Amino acid sequence: MQLLLVGISYRTAPVELRERLDFQARGVADALRALALRGSAREAVVVSTCNRAELYVACDEAAATRQDLVHFVSDFNGVAPDEIAPHVYDVIDLDVARHLFRVAAGLDSLVMGEPQILGQVKEAHTSATEARTAGPVLNRLFHTSFAVGKRVRTETGLGSGAVSVSYAAVALARKIFGDLSGRNVVVIGAGEMGTLTAVHMKSQAVRHVTIVSRTMAHAARTAEAIGGASAAPWEELDAVLGATDIVITATGAAAPILTRAHIEAVMRPRRNRPLFIIDIAMPRDVEAAAGEIEQVFLYNIDDLQATVRENLARRASEVAGAETIVNEEVGKFGAWFRSRAAIPTIVALRERFEAIRRAELERLDFKLSSLQPEARARVDEITHLLIEKLLLTPTEQLKSLSDADTVGAYAEALTRLFGLAEPEERPNVESFARNRPPRRRA
Amino acid sequence: MNILPLVLYAAAFVAYAWHFAQRNPVVGRSATTLLVAAALSHTFVIGMQTMEVGHVPVQGKTSAISTFVWLLALSYLYIEMTTEERAMGVFIQPLLVALQAIPAFRTSIEDRAAVLQGPLFGVHVSSLLFAYASFALACVIGITYVLLFKEIKAKHLGFFYARLPSLQMLDRMNQRAIVIGWIFLTIGMIVGAIWAAQARGYAAGDPRVQAMSLQDPKIFVALLCWIVYSFELFAARRIGWGGRRAAYLSAIGFVIVLFNFVPISYFFSKSHNF
Repeated sequence: MQLLLVGISYRTAPVELRERLDFQARGVADALRALALRGSAREAVVVSTCNRAELYVACDEAAATRQDLVHFVSDFNGVAPDEIAPHVYDVIDLDVARHLFRVAAGLDSLVMGEPQILGQVKEAHTSATEARTAGPVLNRLFHTSFAVGKRVRTETGLGSGAVSVSYAAVALARKIFGDLSGRNVVVIGAGEMGTLTAVHMKSQAVRHVTIVSRTMAHAARTAEAIGGASAAPWEELDAVLGATDIVITATGAAAPILTRAHIEAVMRPRRNRPLFIIDIAMPRDVEAAAGEIEQVFLYNIDDLQATVRENLARRASEVAGAETIVNEEVGKFGAWFRSRAAIPTIVALRERFEAIRRAELERLDFKLSSLQPEARARVDEITHLLIEKLLLTPTEQLKSLSDADTVGAYAEALTRLFGLAEPEERPNVESFARNRPPRRRA
Repeated sequence: MNILPLVLYAAAFVAYAWHFAQRNPVVGRSATTLLVAAALSHTFVIGMQTMEVGHVPVQGKTSAISTFVWLLALSYLYIEMTTEERAMGVFIQPLLVALQAIPAFRTSIEDRAAVLQGPLFGVHVSSLLFAYASFALACVIGITYVLLFKEIKAKHLGFFYARLPSLQMLDRMNQRAIVIGWIFLTIGMIVGAIWAAQARGYAAGDPRVQAMSLQDPKIFVALLCWIVYSFELFAARRIGWGGRRAAYLSAIGFVIVLFNFVPISYFFSKSHNF
């Protein structure tokens, strides 16, 4: 049994090609079914996001399966194989584990450490479980990848810190006010930027969003477009500011619309309740000196971008720690994966012993038939236990082997010593995932 | 006897510092476990002393410090468990270790002075120790508030930004600790005054009772504390001195408390040297 990964990602393929190889859009369940019908893979999981399309399979012979998978991608999406081939990457066995663990940890993402990918990997595995294409090997692989994702998130700072300006603004607001649910937001300026920011704030479940614009009609229209927001005329700006916690300024004004003196006057009746001002206008809408007022936190677009850069740099410094976790888990998974190589030999050995036992019992049947039924049952039990005892140590020894060559040597020796059947003739020890009854998820 | 809690407090301090730097949840849980172990062993020590002398050991100078450390550890654990916030631990632990070192290396003899009788005396001491523990927490919360405030103001979102809860939460915790501390400080001082008036009746000859007036440094500084904290409460509600100014005031207030609690009791007070 081998692990094989065939895929394309933002690293290897342009967006035009990625769009055409979108399993998500065509239906992952259909893809899994179509893949199962081809019979080249024993187990399969399809991970499809806007940045990657990857097929994780367990198969008998990686080289042949790889060819078939590329053809499958081509057939399923209706894209010629020649177009796909130059962008495809493929890895086998433990490199598959390493790749998936890095993906789940966010190490392979466009935005380092982004959290969505772990959920997408989980979804991919769920789809495969539902389509009954995930078997013991891929189940183990994917469950380990979830654990890696979780460990990296809790043990390193890879996912910490906002990495976009709007998230940085929301994260700051949370650091100042804690819960945002009781907070009022004012957006000054009804242009495109103002609207976008207002929508983003609204999605943070704040108490109320008010739009203020020099032209009341603009403000009203924007408020209506957002839904659930209200508009206020320019003359009421001071009153609105008095009752607000977060101010976003995004006007096209050439000179500052909020001066230090103006904000000082607003702060007095507020009794120094904190005021968070986000100035995303260019040129700036708020006098920089206003940031010196006690309990006024003033951030402009450059400040927010600087914090984003700092966060990205910090994430980069956490990569080494995350890679260490990935290596550890690849090591553990590798030990388990390699121990599986001995399973066919173990099964053959057991079957051989059991066959001998049955044959001997049958041969001696004429002697045993004179015994009481309980005594016969006892003979059966004793012979069974004898075999179990004899096989205990060899089984443990075989399972603990972690190197393919040694496993091969042992298998060879055991096959000769006990006259085991050749591998091809052995019954399939992997319960074929597709043939198992569906597992209900809670 | 006080050595074991000291060792455990020190170990908890190391674990909290490690947790604060690395933010490893396993280390965080170990830190809390160590502190709980320290508090339990401390409870045992104080319980043994209580059985030995027949009352909670608060009269000797160093045993009062030990009881104070114990109360502070319990109050901190209460806050940690109700807010699920471990970040403050690294700031409170050094105080526990430093103060616990005094009783650990200089055990005081707990003989009850004849003059210290009646339930009022117990109320006086325990209210004040509890008030001091609250003020200690307020001070630590205030310090963390200022650290976070400075980072946000300076637009350099770094170490503390990633580790501390929101400014709003710190401010609220600080206010709550001050209110609780102020209530117990007030009760403790009033009860102390009533007790002193009674003591003049039955122990007028005791020089310590005679020294119980506003001219005594211990009593004077306690009143100063009360004024500082009263002002802080008033200022936060009436003139908007929340946030950073309240944080500074709670730090100043606690410095006075600590000064009153250790050196003044040891060297200057004539009224409280039992």
